[in-house]
Amino acid sequence: MYFIRKMRSQFNSWALLSVIFSTLILLPALLIMVQLFAESNENWEHIKEFMLKNYIVNSVTLVGFTGLFTVLIGVSAAWLVSAYKVPMHRFFKWGLILPLAIPPYIGAYTYHGILNYTGVIQTSLRNQFGIKVDQKFFDIMNIPGAVFIFTMFLYPYVYIITKSFLENQSSSLIENARLLGKGSFMTFIQVVLPVSRAAIVGGVSLVILEVFNDYGVVKYFGIQTFSTAIFQAWFGMGDIYSAIKLAGTLMFIVVLILILEKVIRGRKQYSYSTSKVRPLQPKELKGWKKFAVLSFFISLFALAFGIPFIQLIHWVYMTYDVILNTAFVDLIWNSVFVASIGSVLIIIVALIIANFSRLSKGWMGKLFSKITVLGYSIPGAVIAIGVLTLFLSLDEKVFTLYEWLGLEPTLVLSLSISMLIFAYVVRFLAVGFNSIESGFDKVGTVFTEASRTLGMSVTKTFFKVDIKMIKGAIAGGFILVFVDILKELPLTLILQPFNFYTLATKTFQYASDERIHEASVSSMVIICISALSIFFLHRVLEKEPK
Amino acid sequence: MFVQIKDLAFHYKNSRNPLFENLSLNFNQGEVSVILGESGSGKSTLLRLIAGLEVPSRGSILIDQAVMNDTFRFVQPEKRGVGLVFQDYALFPHMTVEKNIKFGLTKMNRKQKQARMEELLAIVGMEDYASRYPYELSGGQQQRVALARAMAPNPSLIMFDEPFSNLDSKLQLQIRDELQEILKRTGITSIFVTHDEEDARAIGDRIILMNNGKIQDEGRPEMVLKRNKEQLSLAYV
Ligand SMILES: Nc1ncnc2c1ncn2[C@@H]1O[C@H](COP(=O)(O)OP(=O)(O)O)[C@@H](O)[C@H]1O
Ligand SMILES: [Mg+2]
Repeated sequence: MYFIRKMRSQFNSWALLSVIFSTLILLPALLIMVQLFAESNENWEHIKEFMLKNYIVNSVTLVGFTGLFTVLIGVSAAWLVSAYKVPMHRFFKWGLILPLAIPPYIGAYTYHGILNYTGVIQTSLRNQFGIKVDQKFFDIMNIPGAVFIFTMFLYPYVYIITKSFLENQSSSLIENARLLGKGSFMTFIQVVLPVSRAAIVGGVSLVILEVFNDYGVVKYFGIQTFSTAIFQAWFGMGDIYSAIKLAGTLMFIVVLILILEKVIRGRKQYSYSTSKVRPLQPKELKGWKKFAVLSFFISLFALAFGIPFIQLIHWVYMTYDVILNTAFVDLIWNSVFVASIGSVLIIIVALIIANFSRLSKGWMGKLFSKITVLGYSIPGAVIAIGVLTLFLSLDEKVFTLYEWLGLEPTLVLSLSISMLIFAYVVRFLAVGFNSIESGFDKVGTVFTEASRTLGMSVTKTFFKVDIKMIKGAIAGGFILVFVDILKELPLTLILQPFNFYTLATKTFQYASDERIHEASVSSMVIICISALSIFFLHRVLEKEPK
Repeated sequence: MFVQIKDLAFHYKNSRNPLFENLSLNFNQGEVSVILGESGSGKSTLLRLIAGLEVPSRGSILIDQAVMNDTFRFVQPEKRGVGLVFQDYALFPHMTVEKNIKFGLTKMNRKQKQARMEELLAIVGMEDYASRYPYELSGGQQQRVALARAMAPNPSLIMFDEPFSNLDSKLQLQIRDELQEILKRTGITSIFVTHDEEDARAIGDRIILMNNGKIQDEGRPEMVLKRNKEQLSLAYV
């Protein structure tokens, strides 16, 4: 009785919608998990016996070294930026985040273009100085090269989280260490590293998920990993069955890593951001130290943003008159279209689940918020395969329905753009949800309660009060999701309808066809939109704590 | 009896012990009842239960003979006709004073809303502030707007959760007198929560002394305060 009454007190339609959405989100992953234990076929036996080990070794090598280097670079940059003042300090503070605007696959083909035989470096050496170089020093299409690319364009994840932790949370500890006469280096080793452990682990796990998610870099460099194997199974052999098995195995590895992350991070949360904490005051640097720190910042910024960006501008200059035509307008329209619809849907679903989860206060709400975050940990190719399986089986049902109705049977769903958008929602819901949830956390529930005692239902309160109060979080969430969809590659490659390209997939197609100059214009559009959103969000975040 | 609470039990999900077990309590029509108790004794929670913002695990609450909740029923807060003035006022920051006060007037047309809003601003002496935003008001002014907003829909019961705790002491006295005057004039049944003995004495027709989720004593202010003098003086040293 108590339970039924309680359920009724908890606004049925919100609960119902949350259940429906969470189930839909969970379905692709569940399908893959179920199929993982299905009987095996010959192809899969072959893959398992001869290739799986290679995939695992390559993926783990990439993840391991990228993780190590992003931690080294990200943490030292974060520490130096928050503890010391050098010329152009404000610029570097957010400039070191900018590499995040360049998706690794774009960075990969750009660097290849810079370094290869016809690239700017080798041609200048040849033509200006008459030097012929050994190609092997300039070949980055291998595992160390991929690690370099991933490190350059993903270290900002570690940098951002660690920096905001150091700036906001740890000032008293660090200042105490300084007062006790610890040198900078010892402070860093003995205080900064241990206290920011949770933040670092949080950042590096994002990096790891991105590396597992990647398809563009490894495919372009010809490195065999799980993602390339999934693509090969599906597109090369039309074997959805092996694709599912590979996806399932990869998902299993990712889950293991997430558990490991929880264990290492321990009970400490890295984001107990009380805005009351006094921020760390950066110290002015002098002499050779100033010079050293400054050169570190400059070289990092140049390698991870400046050089590839300038190269791309040059290529844009060379090709824009060929590229900029109606087909390109279509391309932009496609991208903006799927990204807008995807983002709007994500924000709506996130608002519903987040509102239910915060007002119900119970285990159900907590469970839903965990489920929504799931998709972001699962690599895009895996989600794509899960969604594909789901829609193919739905299509079978529709197929029989059509036959039964005497209509021309066709594959409707699995060829349509709705499948792609659904997959975006599954993959990026977490991004919108986190933003909205933290917006709700900030305003609390007291305004909602005030509205209800004044005679407004949960739903009316939602429209008149709740969403008005988290406008900023909604806008921020929308931008983040929009940019993520715009950049997305592996999932889009698998699920895009025939003859439908987005900026990201067209870029990749050009690059794969060794038409890297032509790829530059669409790359530039992606980078500029991402950079604008980073700049915008960074400014908003900077201003917020008063 | 206007509000009847019987055998109420309540347990916060994330706390180990139940806060209320078998709490029974009545409030009379037209009276100002004060719930007096130390911080943490459960006063706010009791108000939230009456308002329908928390769901009790057992027991019943009746307001004006109507069942608000028992074993089978639970009336949503928006249907209870109970006004609540929150400790930090909870004025909607994105609305002006005018919009805040009109917020609860769902069943009126525009003219009626305007008239009611002006009437209430006059009662709390804030006629000139209709177009201000909450952050443009002082603490005492916000307090008055919160009172006006809660009274606007003409609730049968109005409840105050430590309404003076955010004001400086001089203002506290002034607002307390004003509030008492307004409550007497409108004759509305009210429940007033405080941890301050002086407030309780000054404003209450009746005091309910609460301790650790239990009713320790109740009655006329002088009597309750006298009977529990020792304990009260110990608690508030
Ligand atoms: N949301 C909550 N979750 C868990 N425990 C709570 C919550 N709110 C209050 N409590 C606990 O319930 C008890 C009573 O709180 P409250 O009703 O706010 O007391 P008062 O208003 O008299 O200070 C306290 O021990 C408090 O810690
Ligand atoms: Mg209280």
